[in-house]
Amino acid sequence: MSRRRGRRQPWPLVLLAAAAAVCAQEEPPFDASQFEKKPFELGGYAQLKQEHFELDRSAAFYKLGFYNQPQRDTLDRTTGTLQLYGKARHGSGTFDFRLNADAQHDQLGSERAASIFEAAYSARPTPGLTVEAGKRSLKWGKGYAWNPIGFVERPKDPNDPQLAREGFVMANADWISSPGGALQTIAFTPVLVPVSESVNRDFGEAGHVNLAAKLYLLYRDTDIDFAWLGEGSRPARFGMDFSRNVTSNFEIHGEWARIRDFQRPITDSAGRVTIEVANAASYLLGMRYLTASDTTYIAEYYRNGTGYSEEEARQFYQLVDTAFSTNDPALIQRAQSLAQGSYGRPNPGRDYFYFRAQQKDALGIVYFAPALTAIVNLQDRSYQLTPELLYSGITNLELRVRLFLLQGDTGTDFAEKQVSSKLELQARYYF
Amino acid sequence: MKRFLWLIACLAWLPVAHAIDGTQILQKVDRNLEPESYESYRQLTDIQPDGAKKISVLYTMKKGRDRLVALFLAPASDKGRVTLRLGDNMWLYIPDVGRSIRITSLQSVTGSVFNNADILRIDYSAEYDVEAAEEQKDAYLLSLKAKSGEVAYDKLKMRVDKQAILPLSIECYAASGLLIKTLRFRDIKDFGGGIRRPATLETDSPLQKGYKSIMQWSGLKARTFPDEIFTLNYLPRVEELRK
Repeated sequence: MSRRRGRRQPWPLVLLAAAAAVCAQEEPPFDASQFEKKPFELGGYAQLKQEHFELDRSAAFYKLGFYNQPQRDTLDRTTGTLQLYGKARHGSGTFDFRLNADAQHDQLGSERAASIFEAAYSARPTPGLTVEAGKRSLKWGKGYAWNPIGFVERPKDPNDPQLAREGFVMANADWISSPGGALQTIAFTPVLVPVSESVNRDFGEAGHVNLAAKLYLLYRDTDIDFAWLGEGSRPARFGMDFSRNVTSNFEIHGEWARIRDFQRPITDSAGRVTIEVANAASYLLGMRYLTASDTTYIAEYYRNGTGYSEEEARQFYQLVDTAFSTNDPALIQRAQSLAQGSYGRPNPGRDYFYFRAQQKDALGIVYFAPALTAIVNLQDRSYQLTPELLYSGITNLELRVRLFLLQGDTGTDFAEKQVSSKLELQARYYF
Repeated sequence: MKRFLWLIACLAWLPVAHAIDGTQILQKVDRNLEPESYESYRQLTDIQPDGAKKISVLYTMKKGRDRLVALFLAPASDKGRVTLRLGDNMWLYIPDVGRSIRITSLQSVTGSVFNNADILRIDYSAEYDVEAAEEQKDAYLLSLKAKSGEVAYDKLKMRVDKQAILPLSIECYAASGLLIKTLRFRDIKDFGGGIRRPATLETDSPLQKGYKSIMQWSGLKARTFPDEIFTLNYLPRVEELRK
């Protein structure tokens, strides 16, 4: 002990230690009273996004999107978003909402849109039972980029899987039980989704009250869901998912769904469209791995049972090529109509691979998280590569830069998209 | 002969007299730190080498030895996030994402020196066995070994205040023997209801030089909760349980 006292310490370290000690002493006592639950709460974020698009004038979706419009090589778009969410409480009931408003401007014009993402009243007669009615965004499935069992939700954007999405008007309940033992939890969620000309019009065919349900089990440390949607506005479907930690830093997950009598329009290069009616099975297998140096890897294989094979997609791209090279208005209109449907989905192909690597606190900078994301169409070998820089070191402010690079041969999924690259700068402030 | 028998009797008695029941001490530490089922508010302050701070506030509910839920109340960017722990399983619910994802004990949901195992800490005796217990002048030194490979730290060295039976410091080691971090408890405070325990926990790590994290408690009190809230389906509604 005396020897340690006698040892000479470098004076900067002594000062640093002293300063640290002072900091620790100065930490004011924590009083939780300011965080008391309030009958009404409001929060949200404001976001500004600047995008620069490099357009690909030879691509099928450029030709369809810019038909009868001034031709461009680039496009710059500014988008402002305001998202407000809040809660009002009374007794055992809660009303909560999430509102979204976007204003966007580019060289083609300006647009404004406002929508109610969620607004629902929930009552909890007992801790194990919740009953809800209103507009709700239910998220089913364990996949990160895709969710084949997302039966009652709008499709997820694999480029922004964590983005809040607009829900559907519905009534649902949630019954939870914890029996204990190997079966730690059972939860049952029945859902009713009405569709008419004025309600949930984009869910499917009007004139149906669609019934769906999900059964969740936590069995021997594995999350298992069974999901079902009855025939109505959409074809009947059922499926399941699972998720489990193999080790504390290695998680595996999977989803499988089967859609009965799914109608798929298929075109040939001459524009002859046939409707194929068949059962479609989609599935996904994925993993998430965290290294000791705080790098998170996510990998997923997705089999899109409702998607198009490489040859089917090529026929569509040839149709677009023929329509524009012959300047045939009827063919162009047919191609545009197909592009607004299933050929124009973000991922219309049949086999995809998703990979994401993100490094926490990179280069010794706390809250700096660069990432690299790749989405590959495994059949036609086209791909999208997205390097990303994210900084969240300033309280409530999130800054993100992303560069989307799309590559592939002519007549392939990512080569025929409207853009060949996109630079995106985004600042989001939470309040 | 008589003297010889007396000597043997003394030698046989000595270890018994000084044997310490480490497991019992550890169980007392658990109960002195918190009731088995409780609610509390915690503030996490993460301090960077340049003095910049990030503050998070969590509302925590625990039931039994190994079920715990923590809800983020601040900052605004994290508000509404909920973490759930059931034994070795941990999930994070993000309101924007609308569903729960599995997380690991060594990650940190706040970007803190405290990892998820520290933030979602369950009873020490639920995760660790006492390998050795040593009596020192004012403290007991407990050497703890993780019960399974799923636990965040392979070994702990816990110094326990002899009088209060409360931890003074805990050194956390990886299986390789590497010191991951040291936890230091201070500011003994009377929370009422017979709970008198440290109100502040500080940590730093040789792996994150210059960084420091502080956890402060407030409103810690015994409360019982229904089993159903410690489930994934309940996480979006956890906040409604706050009084």
